[in-house]
Amino acid sequence: METFTSPVILFFVLGALAAFLRSDLTIPEAIAKGMSLYLMAAIGLKGGVQVAEAGFSTELIAAAIAGLILSCAIPVVMFFTLTGFGRLDATNAAAVAAHYGSVSVVTFVTGTEVLTQMAMPSAGYMVAVLALMETPAIIVGLVLASRFGIHRANQDRTELLRETLLNGSVVLLTGAFVIGLIAGKEGFEPIAPVFEAGFRGILCLFLRDMCRIAARRLREARSLTGRLVFLAILFPVANGLIGVALGALIGLDVGSAAALGILAASASYIAVPAAMRLALPQADSGLYLTLSLAVTFPFNVIAGIPIYAWFAATIVTG
Amino acid sequence: MAKTFSRKRIEVLVDMPLLSRIEKIAEVAGVKHFTILPTRGGGGTEGRWFDDRITGGAGTKVIFSAVTSEESADSMIKVLEPLLDEYGIVVYRSDVEVIRSGKF
Repeated sequence: METFTSPVILFFVLGALAAFLRSDLTIPEAIAKGMSLYLMAAIGLKGGVQVAEAGFSTELIAAAIAGLILSCAIPVVMFFTLTGFGRLDATNAAAVAAHYGSVSVVTFVTGTEVLTQMAMPSAGYMVAVLALMETPAIIVGLVLASRFGIHRANQDRTELLRETLLNGSVVLLTGAFVIGLIAGKEGFEPIAPVFEAGFRGILCLFLRDMCRIAARRLREARSLTGRLVFLAILFPVANGLIGVALGALIGLDVGSAAALGILAASASYIAVPAAMRLALPQADSGLYLTLSLAVTFPFNVIAGIPIYAWFAATIVTG
Repeated sequence: MAKTFSRKRIEVLVDMPLLSRIEKIAEVAGVKHFTILPTRGGGGTEGRWFDDRITGGAGTKVIFSAVTSEESADSMIKVLEPLLDEYGIVVYRSDVEVIRSGKF
């Protein structure tokens, strides 16, 4: 219940209400982009500082391996479900599957805030797991597309590699994490007021705007079917619960197991869409963006995160 | 009145991630000067689209605009034509008059 009284979630709900009532409450795109960069830098820095404090551990390595396995396995299962039950063609199914194998930074940030409020914070190293899970699914998605869908290889692999590995969000997250790791707690203190004091407020405003974008995309959706919406809700729940169970199995603490579930449940809408537009221009960008951003993202923020947190608390401490 | 010379203007409405490919095609076709223009949104056969920088630019469209010789314009359109559906691009060609012919 405390999840639903959190200002972070309430601002999200405000964004939904404003969007569906067609209010003119908007934030300029450039400012929204700036807020997303701020949030990524802050989460990366804080994660790096926490790892610098706690040191490298076997849990970190185990969580990283678990994250990579999830990131590679989820798109494969999703692909065959989407082509079967979802009735999607192979190219679109591969593009959608890649989004779900990758992760959503904003869902993770919101999730870690909610977990902290529930007195079950996740370990700082989960930021590294987040960064690791950004890209493998893109490669798996492209392999699936070339094996079962289009057989024409991407024209420029260097261009795609650059987009995939040097995508702004990946560079900023990883870079900020390394900076936090090097700077440590003492080095972080002078800049902490910028990255800590304003963090929750900026997250509230950003979530409100994200919800507006999600609602707008949902209103304009042309290619959604009931089956696809059903899968866009079923998959995060299944992936999230599997992620939490895997976290518990490898001995993560309750907060980190919940965070692994949140990562597994989330779908990318920052790094993967641009890579898919480059590598699979034939795929319908309206479809994969609507599913990940307008269906799965709000579902996870409102209902998914509390479910994964509850499941983690049940199986890790139970 | 200044003397003017006929040239062709090529405009390509393209998704942001695919812009670098349009630039390469233009370069090979001999188009030396161009301008990239932002867009706020629009509508087409696939429905409405908006400037949406949050989603890695995948939902954002820009306009590649260039003034060039007829030969370069033809060469560029020849390469773009098979990509119209795959890239979801819109290409316009129009006549323009320029003053400094050596620039275009």
